[in-house]
Amino acid sequence: MKDFKILKFLDLFKSLFNKLGIDYQLMRKILQVKLLLDGRRISTVLATQKTNKKKEEDKNNFIRSLGMYLLMGVFIIIFVVIGRHYLFQMTITFSIIMFFLMTSLIADFSSVLLDIKDKEILLSRPVKNRTLNVAKILHISMYISMITLAIAGPSLIVSFFRHGLTFFLIYLVEILLVSLFVIILTALIYLLVLRFSSGEKLKDIINYVQIGLTIAMSLGYQLVMRVFNYIDIRTMEYKASFWKYFLPPIWFSAPFELLLNKNYSNYIIIYSILALVVPIVSIIIYIKLIPTFERNLQKFNSTDGKSKDKNKITILLSKILCRDKDERTFFRFSTNMLRNERSFKLKVYPSLGLAVIFPFFMIISMNFRDFANIVNTKLYLWIYMSFMMIPAVVVSLGYSGNYKGAWIYETIPARDKSSINKGALKAAIVSLFMPVYLLVSIGFLILYRMEIIDQLIVVGINMFLFIIIIFNRMGEFLPFSKAFQVSENPSGGVKVFFTLFLMAGFALLHFIITMIPYGTYIYIPLGLIGSKLFWKRAIS
Amino acid sequence: MEPIISIRNLRKSFGSKEVLRDINLDIYKGEIIGYIGPNGAGKSTTVKIILGLVGDYSGDIKIFGEDIRNSGVEYKRRIGYVPETADIYENLTGREYLTFIGELYGMEHEEANMKAERLMDLFGIKNVYDARISSYSKGMKQKTLLISALINNPDILFLDEPLNGMDANSVMVFKEVMAELVDKGKTIFYSSHIMDVVEKISKRIILINGGEIIADGSFEEIKGQSIDGSLEEIFNQLTGFEEHERIAKDIVATIEGAI
Repeated sequence: MKDFKILKFLDLFKSLFNKLGIDYQLMRKILQVKLLLDGRRISTVLATQKTNKKKEEDKNNFIRSLGMYLLMGVFIIIFVVIGRHYLFQMTITFSIIMFFLMTSLIADFSSVLLDIKDKEILLSRPVKNRTLNVAKILHISMYISMITLAIAGPSLIVSFFRHGLTFFLIYLVEILLVSLFVIILTALIYLLVLRFSSGEKLKDIINYVQIGLTIAMSLGYQLVMRVFNYIDIRTMEYKASFWKYFLPPIWFSAPFELLLNKNYSNYIIIYSILALVVPIVSIIIYIKLIPTFERNLQKFNSTDGKSKDKNKITILLSKILCRDKDERTFFRFSTNMLRNERSFKLKVYPSLGLAVIFPFFMIISMNFRDFANIVNTKLYLWIYMSFMMIPAVVVSLGYSGNYKGAWIYETIPARDKSSINKGALKAAIVSLFMPVYLLVSIGFLILYRMEIIDQLIVVGINMFLFIIIIFNRMGEFLPFSKAFQVSENPSGGVKVFFTLFLMAGFALLHFIITMIPYGTYIYIPLGLIGSKLFWKRAIS
Repeated sequence: MEPIISIRNLRKSFGSKEVLRDINLDIYKGEIIGYIGPNGAGKSTTVKIILGLVGDYSGDIKIFGEDIRNSGVEYKRRIGYVPETADIYENLTGREYLTFIGELYGMEHEEANMKAERLMDLFGIKNVYDARISSYSKGMKQKTLLISALINNPDILFLDEPLNGMDANSVMVFKEVMAELVDKGKTIFYSSHIMDVVEKISKRIILINGGEIIADGSFEEIKGQSIDGSLEEIFNQLTGFEEHERIAKDIVATIEGAI
């Protein structure tokens, strides 16, 4: 079996693990298998049908998403080198680092944390619970540390030349603490949720917590940027309000201030202590609580309660929206999959939530003072920010936790495979994109006191066109036929740039339309006919 | 003789649902036990508790004379387990998976590899030893699972539907293997819904229903408790199921669209 370099590195700490009561050899074996598994694509029934080009692309998705993190890391350098107001700079730095770590943990590694498949295979053998748990944590940590390295690495290197050795060392230690803290914090949150519920409902709750967390993290990150308003930065006067004690990034920035700027204010000392103590305490709490966690995890398998048939509306919709019978069938099937599959929701719903919130957030963050006057502005063009979610969702349509069920595509007598895709896309539009569009539109209608209905219709048409283009470019697959893998992020990659350009293009188009007299009234009928024709040509 | 497995007053609830109520069992070395019962009767829960996969039970379980609450994981070194719906790392090859499991039992890689390869050969699937398990047929997977449970030469075997998906020839081989193993003093805990097999291979049959043992003894003894007939008929009777003919008729009628 392939031996991994990282495991050789771990070997250095062998005696430490043994001292902690962990069977190092066994743990190493388990990790080796896990890493091996991560590197392998699952060959599905349909694997032969996929184009070869696609297959090769899939392989290094994790590496590619590391590239995105690296880009972020280069960007962070600015905050580290800009001056010597460490409290401000490092708070921003750590906020960004924590944000990315936590979101990737929640989106991609929850499955590892909440896995119960391992249990049956491994714990029925002479493997201690503790050994397995540490293996799991290490497995996640390996990926997290790679991500951490990508985000924090560039600024860490630069910091050595800019601020000297002491800064470098503090930064290094703190990066380690931060990533550990983030992992443990996520695990603890799950622990808390698992305590209060059971069975299927529990999975739903976790699902929504994950979704909520991702959204909250994104907003929190924006918020931290705002903790120090402009006056603060100019006068460099820090107001230690009570609530700021609850923002971890500030804790981690304090030691720099303490040790390098010799700032011995009370709050700096308290923050510094928090930065050191909280991660360590959280680890201890976590280790103490692991047995509880395991016990509650068992609830995962239990089922309870009766079920109701919730399909009436879907059936009605399918009859209205799809003329073809196969398409209708797959519309219903896809709607149910979208609604019921948790791993899918987890990948997709956070971006939907952000899509709803982001446009409003952009408006608020522009420090727009005169809301009474908003009616006369074109700030509604920020709605185009919502489009960012579309590619991720479209690409995700190809994936499923139950990807193996896809063998049915081969056995059914469907004449035309395109009806499968059409049905799936329509289902996604109805149950994912429409709600987002409606929510955002309602929000903006309220902001604009019902003045911009025509503009919103233009946005709707553009959104539809955008979806078709994205689907045409990225959506060549059978729906729900590929496996979500730990090391792979279906939404990431170079495609982001294409999307951003296209999104900006549509926003620009809309802007131009508003400059032309009666532009919207000309565009709406044209757009409607255009999208109808476009749909026919592009999706088949 | 001291029992190799001894269960006293075993109770287990998931939430408010009681799945095991007062199970008492003594199992001796060299026994082959047919552990049967309807779906949801608590069969696999019992086995999972014994293996330490499910905790939080009340009562006492002793294996090899030691309470499993105190014996850590060491006792599992002498147990082999084939679960009914078995998870398996399908992206590993047979070689990788089986040597991995062997090593978990504390075997050397070489030893595990040799033994696994030889067993694959004997089970007639050596040709897929280096193919990914995801490409295996159901029977091949089942054989792989069996090998993974036997590779450590266990003293107790827990088998849940072990013949699932295997062809008739392999079934015959494996039945013979079980008989030989029992002769060598191994204990086999055999759980299945296929009554003919259970009836033939088991020296002792334990019937569990609603979390309770409702019959325990040799086939002849159980027969004495109720009416004559096959184990299947006894099973139906003891679990209070008599409507199979009517239900079958309704099913066929529904298939044909008559209802």
